[in-house]
Amino acid sequence: MAAPTETESSDGTAAAPTQEQQSDSYKLRFCTVCASNQNRSMEAHLRLSTAPSPFPVISFGTGSLVRLPGPSITQPNVYNFNTTSYSQMYEELYSKDERLYRNNGLLNMLERNRNLKWGPERFQDWVPGMPRVDHVAKGDKGALGTEGGVVDVIITCEERCWDAVVDDLMNKGSLLNRPVHVFNVDIKDNHEEALVGGKAILELANRLNEAAVQERKANNSEGWENGTGEARRSFDEKVPEILAAWQEKWPNLPALWTLAWL
Amino acid sequence: MAQSTGSLVDQIAQLNAARTLVLGDAAFYPQIVNGVLPIIGARSRLELRRWGAEFLAETFSSPALAPAQKEQLAAIALQTLRETLELPEKDTVTLKHIVEAAASLYPLKCAGNQFKPAHWGIVGTDTLDNCSINHPEDSKVWENMTAIKDDILRRWDTSPFSVKVCCIKFVQRVVQVQTHGLTDPRVRTGKKEMPAVPKGKTVDDSQRPEQNETSLAIVPRNHSILSLPYLEAEASGLLDRLLSSIVPCPTNGPVIVSDPLLVNATLNSLAILIRTRQSIGNKIINAILSFVPARQARTPVTPAVRVGVKSMERTARALMINIMKRNPSHPLASKMQQHIERLMQSRIETVDDSSKKRGLPTEPTDGLDNSKRAKLDAESPPLIKVSPLPPGPVSYSQLYTLTEDAGLSSFDVKQLPVELLVKIVVPVLARVDQSALQQAVDGVRMRYQTLQKQQAAQPPPPATGEEEDDDYEPEYQPMDVPEQAAEQEDALSAEPADLQPDLVSLGPFVLPQPPPLSENEAAEIGRSAVGRVFDMLASSGVAPNTGKGKSQQHLGFSRLAGSTFDRDAWVTLLTRLATRAPAGLEVDHKKNDQDPSSKRPTISDSIRETLYRYILEDFRGRVNVGIMWLNEEWYNDRIQMKFTASQRGEEDEESSVPLHYDQWSLRLLDGFLPYLDSRDTKIFIRFLSEIPEVTIPITKRVASLAKDPERVNLCIQSLLYLIMFRPPAREMCLNAVEDVYQTYEESRPAAGKVLARWRPQSTAVQQAQPEQQSTLVNRTVESENNTPVANGA
Repeated sequence: MAAPTETESSDGTAAAPTQEQQSDSYKLRFCTVCASNQNRSMEAHLRLSTAPSPFPVISFGTGSLVRLPGPSITQPNVYNFNTTSYSQMYEELYSKDERLYRNNGLLNMLERNRNLKWGPERFQDWVPGMPRVDHVAKGDKGALGTEGGVVDVIITCEERCWDAVVDDLMNKGSLLNRPVHVFNVDIKDNHEEALVGGKAILELANRLNEAAVQERKANNSEGWENGTGEARRSFDEKVPEILAAWQEKWPNLPALWTLAWL
Repeated sequence: MAQSTGSLVDQIAQLNAARTLVLGDAAFYPQIVNGVLPIIGARSRLELRRWGAEFLAETFSSPALAPAQKEQLAAIALQTLRETLELPEKDTVTLKHIVEAAASLYPLKCAGNQFKPAHWGIVGTDTLDNCSINHPEDSKVWENMTAIKDDILRRWDTSPFSVKVCCIKFVQRVVQVQTHGLTDPRVRTGKKEMPAVPKGKTVDDSQRPEQNETSLAIVPRNHSILSLPYLEAEASGLLDRLLSSIVPCPTNGPVIVSDPLLVNATLNSLAILIRTRQSIGNKIINAILSFVPARQARTPVTPAVRVGVKSMERTARALMINIMKRNPSHPLASKMQQHIERLMQSRIETVDDSSKKRGLPTEPTDGLDNSKRAKLDAESPPLIKVSPLPPGPVSYSQLYTLTEDAGLSSFDVKQLPVELLVKIVVPVLARVDQSALQQAVDGVRMRYQTLQKQQAAQPPPPATGEEEDDDYEPEYQPMDVPEQAAEQEDALSAEPADLQPDLVSLGPFVLPQPPPLSENEAAEIGRSAVGRVFDMLASSGVAPNTGKGKSQQHLGFSRLAGSTFDRDAWVTLLTRLATRAPAGLEVDHKKNDQDPSSKRPTISDSIRETLYRYILEDFRGRVNVGIMWLNEEWYNDRIQMKFTASQRGEEDEESSVPLHYDQWSLRLLDGFLPYLDSRDTKIFIRFLSEIPEVTIPITKRVASLAKDPERVNLCIQSLLYLIMFRPPAREMCLNAVEDVYQTYEESRPAAGKVLARWRPQSTAVQQAQPEQQSTLVNRTVESENNTPVANGA
């Protein structure tokens, strides 16, 4: 039993730089969720997938249908999840009333979204663990790293969505036996707030990832023996503190968290 | 070591390529798993072990890989996992993934091999060998599984939190497997054949096959190796340990503050246990009900503590809501509801100062609250495909059939027993998707409208002439029918006119002309219609307007006769039908037909006859009907006379009006007089006072009552009442009293008093009983005597 350990520690010294590199490149996998998988979750999707060191990210909506503002509050444009692409919506709204939808930002939003992925996906229809290799092939932004169809962190943008996600995960029966941190960051559904929220979510992601990287470093054979108490605390354990610290900085985006199962 | 950095990077890259391959096509799993296991074994470098553990965890939980294949791969993988675990592995990340993999493997192995005795036969793809617990290879597998399980349980308390969390999940799986669950045989046999979820196919929650549906229920009682009681006991103990994070044990001395991470991990794993393991469901719920996260708050209350407490409260709430949503009639539902509210309250009191700092955002975050969302009238994208109807005539069933499934549409629901249908339909209706229903209804409506248009486009059948039985209607318009009544009639006639387009919206359709009715037939039909109305009056279906006609009193003079649709209204209708409807016809009749004997009974006479009999059947109860009817008769007589008078030309002297009041009032009186007894005074007095006109023949009939010594008082009192309160009839009544006084000995005492009071000059009284005068004098008003008024209204 002792022999392999020793071999390893000698290895560890030799490969230290590589490991560090690898640890640095370790990325938590994220999932962003809002009601329609259009504005808030997609802004966050954009931020996370185009960060200087990009995160693997997928995104969903929890609503029954994709709802976009229409000419009046009682006449929204409504689409099905999973079967309607952002491009289709773009074309439709463009032909309906270009000026209106240009001015209220919908066309810009759809333009952004269709450059990120094919179309809105419904969270409740997601089968965790189902490979998503084709999304990589299609060039979805943030798809790299999500081929396995699993994520480490889910971030919702509204409490209702958080409730729906936690409830749905219970219904799904946690077949993967895999922990997932589910956060809510309450963001109002408009373009400006979505921008602010996206930035805040990216920061939360960075903080979380930093802790995860630290854990992987600390648990190296060396780190495990030598790390300080704080360094030896696991990533999962630190999550409430990370969120609390983050919340101090973003007091206007009330947050919520739980550890659920995929 | 000699291994260079480069080779490690290469190896990882190769492994990643292999993983990409299996993710793309699950068929490669056996090949790849067997290939990578040697590389990622216990003696490999940390990076490889990490990669390998994660890969195995992913493999054995993948929904893309069928359970049968997982099971085949499990044997060799378990060996590797055990070796790594007993290294002893220290790397948190690797450990975490090993425990994850074990949690997926445990139900798989239990279901696959170990829970089957040797004689149990083949299930699914397993060979008999594989099934046998006595097979050396297989017992080795089970030994590995048990060793891993024991190792994990040992580490549970001491591991870093990341691993602990996964241990919780592993224990939840063990509890689930080792507790009796559903014993539906289909679940077990179906399990093996359950295919992996096809890629890209979304599965509804309710349809999703419950994986890991392995439970003690499939272990035979007499299993050679697996001791059922032991497994159950172990599960029970593990459940207690699992719940200990939310139920602090009081005997443990100092209160151990639970970590929100572990509590949340536990709470989130419990839903499936409650759902699928009835036997322990209530125990778990009771544990949740005793859990108050706010008590876990450490002092000082740091932001992190606040995050933790809030998260525990919300997770507990989410779990309870999940249970209640699944089973709204859960016996503990109301307790859970209360607990949810208590938790929120205690959290706000203990740690949450946000309520003081800033109010909750009242504005819904997406600009649409739920109530508004519901009102949106935007058309949803079609979820239901509504195929157009085939050309040509279609049946109603075709019109309403939306499914394209031939089997479904030909299925006769009537074959199912009603109770079963109710059981199915009620829950289905409860969770029917509003928008889908709307779309289905709209779809049928569209078809319907299309049909309608098609039919309308067809040439309508030739128009028929006006109906010819119009002459049956009286042309006579009473002049002083209250305007309101006329309006009412207008409204009534307008209503059906409005309805008509809808009723016949399938296209113009004209009923064929009925064969012309002979006069007798028409009369017969009229009588039978009237008969039906009387039947209805007699039945209890129409609410009797008992007492003193309360509603009429409330409505007062402004009421419309017959507008209340109660019994009185029908009576009103009948009486008017009898009196007014044929008005004017009879005149013509008489002119044309000089011979009265050949006069056929008119519809109104038959109504009168029926009314008469109706009242006599129970004259005490129906005296008001009689009064109403006689009033109508009298009124109609007046109107007729006035009308005839105004129409009469100077040359036309022979004009006459058939009058009914006298005839029918006497007939009615004659009808019930024989049955009156002395106790009917009030009813009789009411009748006499409320009929519109008292005539001499009537007073004669009343006087005749005195023939019967029993009814002398009735007679005298009735007449006295008329004398006192009906001045126009006073004289004729006094005459009647005088007549009675002189004719019947027995009436003398009573009649004498009346005469002494009202007609002191009467010779009869003066002769016989002069002394009785004084008794009634003080009650009189002198002047009344001197104002004889003409009889009439």
